[in-house]
Amino acid sequence: MRRWYVIAAPYLWLLLFFLIPFFIVFKLSLSDIATAIPPYIPTLDLSKGMSAFPEFFSGLDFENYTFIFGDALYVSAYWSSVKIAAIATFFTLLIAYPIAYGMARAPREWQSTLMMLVILPFWTSFLIRIYAWIGILKKEGLLNQFLMNIGLISEPLTIMNTTLAVYIGIVYSYLPFMILPLYASLEKISPSLIEAAEDLGSRPWKAFWQVTFPLSIPGVFAGCLLVFIPAVGEFVIPDLLGGSDTLMIGKTLWSEFFNNRDWPVSSAVAVILLLVLVIPIVLFQRQQQREREAGT
Amino acid sequence: MTVAQTSETSAAPGPASGKAGPRTAAPQSGFAPWKDPSKKPIVRFENVTKRFGDFVAVKNCTLDIYEREFFALLGPSGCGKSTLLRMLAGFEKPTEGRLIVAGQDITDLPPYERPINMMFQSYALFPHMTVEGNIGFGLRQEGMDKADIEKRVGETMDMVELRQFAKRKPHQLSGGQQQRVALARAIAKKPRIVLLDEPLGALDKRLRQQAQFELMRIQESTGTTFIFVTHDQEEAMTVSSRMAVMDKGEMVQVATPGDIYEAPKSRYVAGFIGDVNIFEGTVSGMPDGYAEIDWVDGAAKFKTRCADELTKGQKVWLALRPEKMRISHDKPASTVNTIAGKVDDVGYLGSISHYHVRVGSGQRVTALRANSSHTVERAISWEDNVWLEWPADAGIVLTR
Repeated sequence: MRRWYVIAAPYLWLLLFFLIPFFIVFKLSLSDIATAIPPYIPTLDLSKGMSAFPEFFSGLDFENYTFIFGDALYVSAYWSSVKIAAIATFFTLLIAYPIAYGMARAPREWQSTLMMLVILPFWTSFLIRIYAWIGILKKEGLLNQFLMNIGLISEPLTIMNTTLAVYIGIVYSYLPFMILPLYASLEKISPSLIEAAEDLGSRPWKAFWQVTFPLSIPGVFAGCLLVFIPAVGEFVIPDLLGGSDTLMIGKTLWSEFFNNRDWPVSSAVAVILLLVLVIPIVLFQRQQQREREAGT
Repeated sequence: MTVAQTSETSAAPGPASGKAGPRTAAPQSGFAPWKDPSKKPIVRFENVTKRFGDFVAVKNCTLDIYEREFFALLGPSGCGKSTLLRMLAGFEKPTEGRLIVAGQDITDLPPYERPINMMFQSYALFPHMTVEGNIGFGLRQEGMDKADIEKRVGETMDMVELRQFAKRKPHQLSGGQQQRVALARAIAKKPRIVLLDEPLGALDKRLRQQAQFELMRIQESTGTTFIFVTHDQEEAMTVSSRMAVMDKGEMVQVATPGDIYEAPKSRYVAGFIGDVNIFEGTVSGMPDGYAEIDWVDGAAKFKTRCADELTKGQKVWLALRPEKMRISHDKPASTVNTIAGKVDDVGYLGSISHYHVRVGSGQRVTALRANSSHTVERAISWEDNVWLEWPADAGIVLTR
């Protein structure tokens, strides 16, 4: 009996804070916009008794979904979000891997300090850190001043309000989420495996590709998903750093919700976004499961 | 100091093992290239010193190892034996001195260019590769033909009886099977020298004995030089042609297991290999080839064969193996090499019994007796007053 309580707790949590909100959003996505409070119909009016139910359900339809798929704006916003997230994830991996590798190979007594340094940016608000990037990237910003002072460029670069700025923002913000799982998997690799590879005639670079990298793949996978999944729906970074031509679904969703006050359409956008992300999420869980099984 | 060879039966089993029976050891008789001045060593450590900061792991070590030897590096943890092995593999660089393999100076050669393969203590099997993949790893680095690799991997798997596990991953294997994969991987490239770092350390006792003989079989059939590190003296005795006993970075004695057991050069070596009783004394005379010693702890006089020149009054130690002492209730006729004591403890092991006897002012001495008949008329028991006696050629005089 006691065991049952323990198991029930997380499920209850998920039900309350995930499944029920999801059904509310899903119901909203099937509703129609209305000039009312709340700004959609139908609403379940229980004062009419049982007849309220058929009336309520007959008011729900997939109109919003057909609308979204019929409008090129939404489709290209999804596509562009996935593309930006994928490219940003790739560059995050490229930068994070050497850092994580260096951390894992550093002397033991340094490792916790290095880990601390990776986590340190979290002590400052995410929003403030993104604003700081505006100060760095804008025309008269730190980066341009620096490059012009050392004489590398004569005209300031236009980085701010471009997709490049969005990439920089995503790579910067999500770097720790890539480093930590990479470090965790690299740190587990026994140095004697590398020694064994070299002992058997493998040069250091080959030994890396034959032994270290394959063994770090679970970390690569986990890190990429931890970056990719939130990056697809990212709103703050494209809104603050990106330009008007940077199309991302998070921004679209926000303007649908707050500018157009079209809750049903924005709910449908959110549901589709969830479906887009379900594939990598399932992949992630599968990978985690496999790792657990291999561990036992 | 050279100690007189006490007996020809150099193959006495370690008393600690408690098992009798013939010792099918590594080539003992006939195979002794270290005695042949025309033979060139395959491995030579030349004044090798290794320091880690202030810590001296290996101190000015010079050692020759010959082709086809099964050489053991023996010592407690931290004595520098693993460092010596890792220097040979190329993972550590000597601070001073040179390493020569087959006439070539390999001191500055990286591990992947050395004709040496190593079997790691933790096996270091590649977890993402199958048994086949692990064994073939070294061959693939050489750019060997696919068909040739397959053939060689197959042969090697047969040698260690792993064929049916070819497609398994290391985590699907038992400890003993993993140990065999590690061995197979180290011999697959047919290196001239195989290094083994505590190769059997992770196995349980039964499996270990079986694996020892398997190691010896493979070493002999492949004609490879095996150099292995162990802290288990029994294991070193069983498999090695020669062994080096190490202490605090120094090699204290290099000899065959028989010589190490029967003619240790110091109390440290005598105590490390098997059980030994040490009596402290002073030299009172040196009549023709014998040393007369006054026991410090009691009134007894000892007389032991000794080829060394000792000075009168010199402090020495007499080392005596438990199986070389006779224990009885009756006072022996001789007064030399005879001491009286009281039985403290009896350990009955079936084939033999251990007797812990308190002698002199309280020193505990171990004697051993084979239980050669079913019934002993007067079994020696706790609190019995007994006499211990040994012949003049049983003990060894040690000055260190």
